[in-house]
Amino acid sequence: MTESAVVSATITGWKSAGEPEPAAEILAQLAVKTLRSAGLRPADIDAIISTTSAMPFDHPSFLSTPAQHLAHRVAGKIGTHGIVSMNVSGACASAAAAFAIADSMIKAGRFKKVLVLGYDNSPRGFYYSFASYLDTDTMIGYPLKVVGAVNPTYWAMWARRRAYETGKSIEDIKELMATIKATLSQYGALNPYARYRKVFTVQDVLASPVVDDPLHLYMISAVSRGGGAVLITDMETARGLTDKPVKIAASTAGSPMYGEPSPRLTYFTTAGGKNAKPPFAEWRKPIEDAYRMAGITAEDIDIMEVHDTSAFHVINWIDQAMGWEREETDKLIRSGETRRNGKLPINLSGGTSSFGEAVYAQALMMIYELLLQLRGQAGERQAKKDLKTGMLTAYGAYGSYGTIILEKAW
Amino acid sequence: MRGLSSSKKMIPIVEGLFEWPSESPRLIASRCPLCGSVQFPKSSVCNNPDCTHDATPEEIKLSEEGILYSYDIHMYDLREPFSYHKAPYAIGAIELPEGIIILARLTRYEGLKIGMRMRLKIDRLYEDDENVYLTYFFEPVEDGGEEK
Repeated sequence: MTESAVVSATITGWKSAGEPEPAAEILAQLAVKTLRSAGLRPADIDAIISTTSAMPFDHPSFLSTPAQHLAHRVAGKIGTHGIVSMNVSGACASAAAAFAIADSMIKAGRFKKVLVLGYDNSPRGFYYSFASYLDTDTMIGYPLKVVGAVNPTYWAMWARRRAYETGKSIEDIKELMATIKATLSQYGALNPYARYRKVFTVQDVLASPVVDDPLHLYMISAVSRGGGAVLITDMETARGLTDKPVKIAASTAGSPMYGEPSPRLTYFTTAGGKNAKPPFAEWRKPIEDAYRMAGITAEDIDIMEVHDTSAFHVINWIDQAMGWEREETDKLIRSGETRRNGKLPINLSGGTSSFGEAVYAQALMMIYELLLQLRGQAGERQAKKDLKTGMLTAYGAYGSYGTIILEKAW
Repeated sequence: MRGLSSSKKMIPIVEGLFEWPSESPRLIASRCPLCGSVQFPKSSVCNNPDCTHDATPEEIKLSEEGILYSYDIHMYDLREPFSYHKAPYAIGAIELPEGIIILARLTRYEGLKIGMRMRLKIDRLYEDDENVYLTYFFEPVEDGGEEK
C-alpha cells in the first residue's frame, strides 16, 4: 500500500450561517491557495473530492442542486484537463468521508495528488433533518414530525443516560459540560478563524437557557458557514513539496451498526435488551479500525480534535477513543488535562463550540488545526508537549462517522 | 379509542405507525420470520446483517409496556411546519420487550425517572379546522396508565 500524506491546507474564517455568498467561488479561491502554497497548479492534480452542502434550495423540482456538485463546479472554475471529480455526503462527517475516499485513492496507488474540498452554509436556526416530500420512508427523519425530536434531543438523552449509568446527578454532568464549554471558549478566543471569540465561565454556561434538558444553550454549537481545502499526495511526492509532510496513518468511515442501543440521530429505533451491544459501539468501531490501520493504540494519541456539536460529544469521544472507565474521562476534564498544557489536549482550535458548524466542511477545520499543531504553527494555541500523533473524530446524523489519524513524518 | 372523541376527523400524524381506527391501538412493527429481528416503523427488508434476507419481514404489533431508557425535556417551540410540538414537552427512549428502543413523545415532562415502566397511549397531538392529528405517546405506569 502506498503511504499518503497531507501537504497543505487552508480554511476560511467561520461566519454566521444563512448569509448568501458564492460557494464555488470561495472554494475555488481556497483550492488555488492550497495548491500554490505547495507550488502546484490545477493542471498538476489528479482528482477533486468535495463534500456536498446542506444549503437549502427554493424550488421542489430541483432534484439535483448545485450544492450537491461542488467538486465539478470548482473543477470548472479553476480549470483542469478533465480530472476525476466526485461529491460526497455523510452529514456532519462528510468532510472526513471525502478525506477517507481521497486517501484510499492515493493509498491504492492510482492517484498521486488529490484535492479535498468542503463548504457549507446551513439554514439559520436549529437544524431540521427531515425527508423530502418525495421520500416517504418513515424510518428516517420522521421523529421530528411525529415525536418532536430535534438533534439536541438525542444529545440530551445520551447525557442523561450516561449520568444514570455512572450513578451521577444531572447537575454533575451539567457542570462537566459547562467546564468543557468554558475551556473551549478560551481557545476559540485565540483562533482568528473561529466565529465565536467570547470567553465564557462555567457560571455563564449554566446561566444560559435550558434548551433540551440537561443541555443549556451554550452547550450546543450554532450553525455556521465556512469551507476548507486539503491537498493530499503519496509520501514520495509530499517529500518533494514540503519539508513537513504529515503522514495519513489512518482514515476510516462508519455507519449505523446493528445492535447499537443509543438513540441515533434521525432514527426512531435502536437495539434494546439482549440484542443491544454496549452503548456507542458504532462510535468506537471507526476509531478501533483507525488504530488497527495506524498500528497504534489509544495511548499513542498525543492530541485530538473531536467533533463537538454539543459539550456532551467531547465527553463521549474521550470515553470511546480512550476506552477508559468513564470516571477517568471526568477526571481528565476537571483536572484541566485537556488543555494545551495537559496530557491530552482536546480541541485547541476552540472546537465546533467556538466555530459553529459549517456542517459538511467541519472536519476540514479540524484537519487544519491538527496540521498546525503537528507542525508547531498554532501560535498561542500550540500544545505544550511534543506531538507526534493526532486524531480527529467526526460524527453526523443518519449514523455517519469518520476517524483520521495524522503523524509527523519528518 | 375510549376517551378520545371529536366532531372532527381523527387521523394519525403519519400513517402506518399505529393501528387506527382502533379501540385499543398498538404500534405496528415488523419481524423477520428467519432471524426474528424487529423493526419500527415496519420495513419490507430485514435489518440484521447476519440474516440471509431470504424472507420478507412480517407485520407485528408491539408490546404496550416498556422501560424508560432515557429522556429529553425540550424547552422551546419548534418553527413551522413542526410548530404543533409545543414546549415544554418530553421525548423518551422506551425499551420494549421485543428487543428494541423506540422514541416517543411522553404524556408529561415532570416526575420522570430512567428505569420507570411506561405504557402506550394514542392521543391528540394538535388539531386544525378540519382534523384532529393523533400520535403515539408513552406515559408512566405509576401515574395510572389507563385511558380516561
